[in-house]
Amino acid sequence: MARRALWRVGGADSPARIAHLDRDRPLVAAAKRDPAQFDALYRRYLARVYSYAYYELGNHHAAEDATEATFLNALASLERFEERARPADGEGASTFRVWLFQIARNEVAAERRRARRRPTAPLEGALTIADPLDVQADAERHDDARAAWQAVGRLPEDRRQAIVLRFVDELSTAEIAGVLGRSEGAVRVLIHRALRAVAGELTRPE
Amino acid sequence: MTGPQGDVGEIEALVTDRYLDALLGSRPEVGEVAGPEDADGVGAVVRAISQRLATDLPRFHPSFRFEERLALRLAELAASMRLPVAAGGEGQPIPLRRASPMLERRATDDDAPPDDRRPLLLGGAVAASAISLAGAWLAWRRRATQARAGGNGA
Repeated sequence: MARRALWRVGGADSPARIAHLDRDRPLVAAAKRDPAQFDALYRRYLARVYSYAYYELGNHHAAEDATEATFLNALASLERFEERARPADGEGASTFRVWLFQIARNEVAAERRRARRRPTAPLEGALTIADPLDVQADAERHDDARAAWQAVGRLPEDRRQAIVLRFVDELSTAEIAGVLGRSEGAVRVLIHRALRAVAGELTRPE
Repeated sequence: MTGPQGDVGEIEALVTDRYLDALLGSRPEVGEVAGPEDADGVGAVVRAISQRLATDLPRFHPSFRFEERLALRLAELAASMRLPVAAGGEGQPIPLRRASPMLERRATDDDAPPDDRRPLLLGGAVAASAISLAGAWLAWRRRATQARAGGNGA
């Protein structure tokens, strides 16, 4: 399993600071010089972007479409991407992945709008399709995992996105705040409430 | 305005956030340890559900076929971004005007396979050839005129 290589710098009152060890900044610089070098960033973030899209859309094909659009858009507009991290944010600090997930979030929303315009499944079937564990044969056997996902899937959109970005994509609270366009404090409360809601759902007697 | 209830909620959220930082930072051991040492302020319920989500929500990977297909598309896009204008990087295929009906008929008469009549992308090479042909024709005309003039003079 991928290791997390992030931690927050400074106290609770400090602005959203992120220290990375993931070396995004040199890869971004290389890709700006030579677009063919974007491949390294693509390989690094493919599973994360795809997972995010899959949890949000619940459909392999839709997730693939959103993932493809995300990376093509990212490469096409990489020239306009500006590194916003400051030296005080730590060596190698980068806002690239926040920018990438902002694109992914927009593409997921666009994909959802497209699906609404041309629904391909009856409404009753949507709940089943929206469960990614149904299509993952390995994970399907784990009832606990299924129950956890279903509980997360029933959360309101902003809470669900925050939980998926935190637990699946392993983004920090500061990064999630950047992706969702909220303050760090608001994201903390969002995740805390989401955890309580999921706990309530999972511990409720059947 | 934030009341006492809101303050308590924000403090709890902050403690949970710290706990998650520590929990997700030590993922491999997540199933074995009860939680990071500094998790005293985190409620048992939040702690339990956090550990469960950390292990039960998998990260998915698309198919290898999709990964390589998208990698190829990105490489093509990267190549088109890298090519300088002088090398035709921003060039687009230009549809040719239809050939005259007479030429079309001749092509058919020659029993050429239909696929061979696909549109061609013309560039500098053809222009250069046309200039060379015109130059050769001019040189031939000049030589012929001079020869005629020399003949007349004799």
